[in-house]
Amino acid sequence: MVKTNFLGLELKNPLIVSAGPWNRDGGALVKSINAGAGAVVTESVVSDTLLDVRPRIACDDKGAQNIRLYSDIQIEGWEREIALAKNAGGIVIGSVSAQTPSELAYLASKMERYGCDAIELSVSNPAMESLEVVASHPDVMYEMTKEVVSSVKVPVMVKLSQNTTNIATVAKAVKAAGGAGVSAINTVRGILGVDIETAKPALSTYGGISGEYIRPLGLASVATIAQTVDIPLCGIGGVSSAENALEYIMLGASAVQVGTAVMREGYEVIGKIARDLENWMEIHGYDSVEQVRGKALRNMKSFDEMKFEPAVSTVEDMPCVDECNRCYTVCVYDAIKMNENNVTVDKNECSGCGLCTFACPARKLRLKW
Amino acid sequence: MNIKQIAKEAGVSVATVSRVLNHPENVAPATREKIQKIIDQAEYKPNWFAQGLNFNKTKTIGIIVPHILNTMYMEIAKGVEDVALQKGYITFIGNGEMNSNAENSYLQQLEMRRVDGIVIMFTSLEEERLREIEKKGVPIVLIGENKKIEGFNIVRVDCKSGAEKMVKHLVASGHREIALLQGSDPETESMDIYEGYCNVLRENGIEVKKNLVSQVANSIEGGYLGAKKMIASENPDAIFTTSDEIAYGAMDALKDAGVRVPEDVAIAGYGNNRMSNMVEPKLTTAELPYHMMGVYGARLLFDLIEDDGKNKPEPKVITLQSKMKVRKSCGHKERIGEMF
Repeated sequence: MVKTNFLGLELKNPLIVSAGPWNRDGGALVKSINAGAGAVVTESVVSDTLLDVRPRIACDDKGAQNIRLYSDIQIEGWEREIALAKNAGGIVIGSVSAQTPSELAYLASKMERYGCDAIELSVSNPAMESLEVVASHPDVMYEMTKEVVSSVKVPVMVKLSQNTTNIATVAKAVKAAGGAGVSAINTVRGILGVDIETAKPALSTYGGISGEYIRPLGLASVATIAQTVDIPLCGIGGVSSAENALEYIMLGASAVQVGTAVMREGYEVIGKIARDLENWMEIHGYDSVEQVRGKALRNMKSFDEMKFEPAVSTVEDMPCVDECNRCYTVCVYDAIKMNENNVTVDKNECSGCGLCTFACPARKLRLKW
Repeated sequence: MNIKQIAKEAGVSVATVSRVLNHPENVAPATREKIQKIIDQAEYKPNWFAQGLNFNKTKTIGIIVPHILNTMYMEIAKGVEDVALQKGYITFIGNGEMNSNAENSYLQQLEMRRVDGIVIMFTSLEEERLREIEKKGVPIVLIGENKKIEGFNIVRVDCKSGAEKMVKHLVASGHREIALLQGSDPETESMDIYEGYCNVLRENGIEVKKNLVSQVANSIEGGYLGAKKMIASENPDAIFTTSDEIAYGAMDALKDAGVRVPEDVAIAGYGNNRMSNMVEPKLTTAELPYHMMGVYGARLLFDLIEDDGKNKPEPKVITLQSKMKVRKSCGHKERIGEMF
């Protein structure tokens, strides 16, 4: 019921465990597979391993920042690790990261030979040496994708970054170069916070932000690509529940990746999301991911298409006497007033911005005309 | 104890013991550990000659370096060795002394010793000579470009785009009179850097002046002499060099002449040798990924060795990139560039 076809691969569910230290070797990949993942992506394999900086991961209750999470196993060593994952019956996507097309093609062809079912190009890590991520240049992405595609037979997907002017242009370049799909988004360049007592940032340099912080960015990127490029899409960014997975799917993704949630909640979260997803689909009468895919896109309009409806806020379920002042606090147009025992909206002052309908915890306000 | 006795004690076949010795990655970890333990206890060492005869492999490779005292070549050699050791190979290192005769005699020696493959860095040899060796069934991989040679597996660095990035940076920092001290070797890389230098100057409407480009020996001394001569007749506001050694020498010459770096003249090198982060002022440079060059060189070589002439894959060209290391010697004051 939650099966999905992604990159021409039949996944038992749309949950792919993303590249990261939770998939750092064969043993870890097996954990992800056994926890119920539809597919797993290896930690990104690089041309030449470097010593890991310490510390390199920080987190708070909304997400995480990492400096550089690449595999510390050289490509040769992955032969064994991938064999372990394949023996466990998983669909394995090999993530490779490098600076030039020829390096990427070399690493990808090795990963293919070791048994990977697909390749993910990871050239969008915002924590690397340069302020500009490689994936912000459509022409470079075209060259890289093309060279990799011509050196392997398995499907190649490219992980895109929000750190670019126009993500759709990059996705188009990937498609033109023969890429089988794109995943979006990679972590977003950021600093998790500063300890004001010691004046120290969370980590000593910039890193990639993941988790809840970036979900809205990921959703927008996926929707943008889905609306402009016909290419299989994998949504990434802050997926920690079936609801989040469905949000991505409804905006056009065929699959989603889960990373930070696995790091924070353990491998069990994969099975939990998969079960919840299945339940939701069953309750709502869907037989496949494809039936849900893109449903929310139909409710998205371009700005030009939006009609100027004379809607104003209306309090439903009158009188509202809740001990709460959210609606009139957020009303920047001074249209909402709290009388002695009721909330009222001045329909002449209300400009129909809609903010109060989101602010009301009981959802008692609606825009109407 | 011999291999049969070890197999008997472990309760496995001779072939499995052999795999532990030769391709441990293909043996299940538990079995491998058990057999390895017996091998260790018995202090069993396989007979290298017998192995060689058996597999027609000596499990040796050769590396020919242009100059054994140059630490950068040793970093490349380390990259090769790291992979070789993992594959159970040992390496012979030959010092090519930057001349084709020495390189040639090492090639003969390596061939006589039946090495399974040869990595040559920045070779001074002609394509034909390399082709001869290859025809005898000894795979060859080249690292770095000195002469224009085609049709071999090679690991190269895109020095042209590296130079372009550097000269762009110098132009952006306000320099117009940018001199180039061009090293005598490696020839191709040096010419690529020159090409990148000319491209960016022209793109910015700056004339390429003959007097600002000077050929020097690729050494600290070469840099010293080149810079001394340059500032005696010209007034460059920046000096870009095709190697970090040349840059060190140039900095020394400027110091002797009472010229301040970077206040009076900015300096930028090429290579990012270990010392470049320690000289004062710290040297801005474009990185040559030495270790990675070696690692890829070895990978290409072992791909050929393992292929054993069966599939004869098309020669691969692995192109690596130079990253900018912006430090103080080019007058860049903000720390930010240094960090990336």
